[in-house]
Amino acid sequence: MRRDPVLALWLAPCAALVAGPVAGTTYLTVEQAQAALFPGAQMTAHPVALTPAQVKAIEKASDTRVREKTLKVWSASNGGWFYVDQVIGKHELITYALALDAAGAVRGIEILDYRETYGGEVRDPKWRAQFVGKKVGSPLKLDVDIMNLSGATLSSRNITVGVRRLLATHELVVGKP
Amino acid sequence: MSLWSASLETGAEVCQRARPWLGTVVSVRVEAGPGLAEPAIEAAFAEVGEIHRRMSFHDPDSELSRLNAAAHRAPQAVSGRLRRVLSAALALARASGGSFDPAVGGDPGASWRDVELGGDGRVRFRRPLRLDLGGIAKGYAVDRAIDGLRRQGIAAAVVNAGGDLRSFGCRHTVWVRDPAEPGCGIPLLETADAAVATSAGYFDENALVEPRTGGSLGVDRSATVCARRAIWADGLTKPVLADPSGSVGLLRRLGARAVLLDCQGGRLYLE
Repeated sequence: MRRDPVLALWLAPCAALVAGPVAGTTYLTVEQAQAALFPGAQMTAHPVALTPAQVKAIEKASDTRVREKTLKVWSASNGGWFYVDQVIGKHELITYALALDAAGAVRGIEILDYRETYGGEVRDPKWRAQFVGKKVGSPLKLDVDIMNLSGATLSSRNITVGVRRLLATHELVVGKP
Repeated sequence: MSLWSASLETGAEVCQRARPWLGTVVSVRVEAGPGLAEPAIEAAFAEVGEIHRRMSFHDPDSELSRLNAAAHRAPQAVSGRLRRVLSAALALARASGGSFDPAVGGDPGASWRDVELGGDGRVRFRRPLRLDLGGIAKGYAVDRAIDGLRRQGIAAAVVNAGGDLRSFGCRHTVWVRDPAEPGCGIPLLETADAAVATSAGYFDENALVEPRTGGSLGVDRSATVCARRAIWADGLTKPVLADPSGSVGLLRRLGARAVLLDCQGGRLYLE
């Protein structure tokens, strides 16, 4: 099973690029996600503020905490619902969109934005500034795009929990006839 | 990244999406002519979803779970995809002397040696055990997605399944986390057409365990493997982390290369 060697070049520690904080990636805006999940549909926003009783019912049904009491939800002119929600992990902040069909079944999930959040020095402008000019004339890359990061260990568990919470929210509040 | 932006001037469009699959976040970035990128991305995710449904260890209805429940009683027929991943996992287990082992749980002492992949395509376990293909299935999903994108005539793409990534058609820099500071990325290699995977215990010291001893593979270093196919890059990180010098022959046979990074900024290149 001998194979041809792979075509790749290791970069030396002092290569043209310097190390930088892992930032994240923006995949889609809310409008792009709406167009992708409900092509051609008119989207109507529905401002919903959950009452304490509704929060309690959702938490009970989904076995998760409701942090955000104001929902970001739209209905689609051709039937269906579109939610934008955020989940927070130990190091990550994920904004995602959930599309439901008219009957409330999952039609699609798109991650809109993924950010890594580290306490302390990674966010500290002074700490970040140490990379600036580390190598004169080097293309400075302060925010590493998650797309090109190997070994990221991103878990989707928080998204799964968020979707469960939104499905309970839809059943108990928004999609209720 | 500048190369991706430059391609916009040639009329091609760059499109990227990320969805939760395989217990992680899978992202796909594609460069293609107008109108071609989105259907190509949908097809890539359909393939990733198919692998997830067949090989999920946690979903009791997955093909793998059904195999785990029944294969010690009678030989079971499996799909082509599962057979391919299982045969790669067993080859890697054999070649690494068990430092990569897809067999977990079941009888004490049960290992990959108790898994029989018959010439008729059926699978049998000699004693009760469970297969966990988590160490290799993500890489296979990335390969299937990339192969599909190539077949559709896509000019350039990157598929990244929670850090197992593969690209073609565009030179770009692959970054890894600094073991001393996982929130910080290090530019590690430049490639136009390769798969890269990294294993490390920096977020969870129990994430990586040496199957033969049960000991942790450590939190203070990472192993990055670069190979033609993501299935090998993904699978090889574990043997490389467990036994760096002992895995040189295995890397060579698979046309792969590796580098270990430690907390002090040290690097050990294996090729």
